[in-house]
Amino acid sequence: MASVYKSLSKTNGSKDEDSANGLPKKNKQRVLILSSRGITYRHRYLLNDIASLLPHSRKDAKLDTKSKLYQLNELAELYNCNNVFFFEARKGKDLYLWMSKAPNGPTVKMHMQNLHTMEELHFTGNCLKGSRPILSFDSQFDSAPHLRVLKELFLHIFGVPKGARKSKPFIDHVMGFTIADGKIWIRNYQINEVEASKLPEPASTEDESANKKSKKDKSSSKGGRETEVKLVEIGPRFVLTPIVIQEGSFGGPIIYENKEFVSPNQVRSELRVKKAGRYNARAEQGIERTAKRGELGLRTSGGRKMPKDALDGAELFA
Amino acid sequence: MVTKSKLKMALAADQRLDFKKLNQKKQRKAATRENAKKGEVMSKKVEEEWEDVDEESEDGGDVGVNGAGDESGSEDEAVDSMQIDFAGIDESDSDSSAGENDQEHDDDDDEDDEDIPMSDLEELDEEEKEDMIPHQRLTINNTVALTAALRRIALPISKMTFSEHHVVTTSEPVLIPDVSDDLNRELAFYSQSLSAVREARKLLKAEGVPFTRPTDYFAEMVKADEHMAKIKAKLIDEAASKKASAEARKQRDLKKFGKQVQVAKLQERDKERKQTLDKIKTLKRKRQGGDNETTNEADLFDVALEDETASTKPARKDRTGPNKRAKKDAKFGHGGKKRFAKSGDATSTGDLTGFSSKKMKGHTKQRPGKARRAGGKR
Repeated sequence: MASVYKSLSKTNGSKDEDSANGLPKKNKQRVLILSSRGITYRHRYLLNDIASLLPHSRKDAKLDTKSKLYQLNELAELYNCNNVFFFEARKGKDLYLWMSKAPNGPTVKMHMQNLHTMEELHFTGNCLKGSRPILSFDSQFDSAPHLRVLKELFLHIFGVPKGARKSKPFIDHVMGFTIADGKIWIRNYQINEVEASKLPEPASTEDESANKKSKKDKSSSKGGRETEVKLVEIGPRFVLTPIVIQEGSFGGPIIYENKEFVSPNQVRSELRVKKAGRYNARAEQGIERTAKRGELGLRTSGGRKMPKDALDGAELFA
Repeated sequence: MVTKSKLKMALAADQRLDFKKLNQKKQRKAATRENAKKGEVMSKKVEEEWEDVDEESEDGGDVGVNGAGDESGSEDEAVDSMQIDFAGIDESDSDSSAGENDQEHDDDDDEDDEDIPMSDLEELDEEEKEDMIPHQRLTINNTVALTAALRRIALPISKMTFSEHHVVTTSEPVLIPDVSDDLNRELAFYSQSLSAVREARKLLKAEGVPFTRPTDYFAEMVKADEHMAKIKAKLIDEAASKKASAEARKQRDLKKFGKQVQVAKLQERDKERKQTLDKIKTLKRKRQGGDNETTNEADLFDVALEDETASTKPARKDRTGPNKRAKKDAKFGHGGKKRFAKSGDATSTGDLTGFSSKKMKGHTKQRPGKARRAGGKR
């Protein structure tokens, strides 16, 4: 295996240097991955999943503080990282994701929802640990400046740089970043290449693809053989809602704030208020009812008395 | 606010210088300059309008509330200027550093109006406002700072080979009409990724970068073998349970059908029996009417049948029914007292059948003597 890798990296190495000479900047990223205290097991599993997908990451122990996040900058410097990927758990249920370029920003804070770890999603996809993903972005990422910043951060953190220490030379998975409903949806798929000649029959493959609702891709590979690309989901899945972008790294002025974001606390409190409102309405109804009955003289005590009727039994047979 | 903009200016200037050093290209297009100028003119006009607003904001702090009236007045122009600035920024991005001086002007103007967020408080209708807790957040979208930040960290993707960055952006935005429609949403994600993979593969093949993993290349996978075994077990389990449920359903259906069959069979048997009994009855009737016509064999057959029916049916009838009561009555007594049954009563006293006056007078016929009796015999 090592020989295969060496030979491949050697052939590419010469090309690499050429391009490196021509270019001023080399893509060099290292990500510090850690979480705050108080994360649940699912958050922890997700963190592990992401760390396993990013060979250029450095996982660290949980951070003790939630208020002094600027300490992360020092930590990142200590570990030689220029990106920080930080899970902040609140109340043991809400998860916020901070992504930052370590020494001097920007920082993005996002709310993470609908997270599913690889473990609980029983997907059949799998990929090499440390293979470099293809990053697929929705073109909506180029439509607004804050989204462009987000895209850049995703590119730095989720894109494994070429020649990263533990990276593998083949490409077998793709990460999709899509914007829908003001949120960023992230998916991870395995690239499954099937040689057309190995397929039993074209009719059956069509059925399969119809089942999966996927289109076939046929293009000539190196050997000139036809191969078909299919995707199989690996996991994890999660949805991010951008909240705030800061100019510095865990500090500095806020340069973007999402007005549409409603904090989960507010959602919960509104639910509670709604519930309380139901009780209040019912109590009020009760009071109104007693008042009405009193007004009609139907109550034994209080309220208006009924006028005595001449035909009343008590009056007639007195 | 002022300090912030100054800081930003300094930062931006620093950046520009860097850019200058890196790639000094003298071919600055006249077009961009013109564009920037146009922007400048527009933004200057806006600047005048906005100056009073700025001052207010510095005093009051909360611009969204204080300067609401001014904002609504100059909203159109503000939007205009934003668009223009945006265009200018875009251009500067595309050719990294074009029209520096003009751009800087632009940035300043931008900061002035960008720092004042447009609070769309009036956007909501009354009903929604009623429900909403007064928790309003002002939109902050500092475009200039965002672009500056972006420029600071951006990788020069356009100058890198594809194998360096692996980024594919769709040509058209992915539209998902309803996010809660799981199937279509996932399909959209899938097709986005699939198209990206196709494009990436083409590019990588063109660059001669290995793409497909050879079959004899083994390495650690993201999901360990145990995990995959678990998934496999789960799949097998699911398939088995599906199969079992299908089998059970089939069995149930069969059972239902089998019952029907059984009922039908029983009914048929019943019918057959009735038919034979009917036949027997008719035969019996025929025989009773006149069996002259019947042949000997038929006669014999009839007799046998009759015997059989006679031996079985009437006996059964005797055994059950009112006969039993009668027997019991006879045995144990029923229907009134049996005492004094032999004593005389009115009728028996009045009965004179046994009375004779001759017998009463004692005039009875003498018994003939022995000889006579004996002679009479002879």
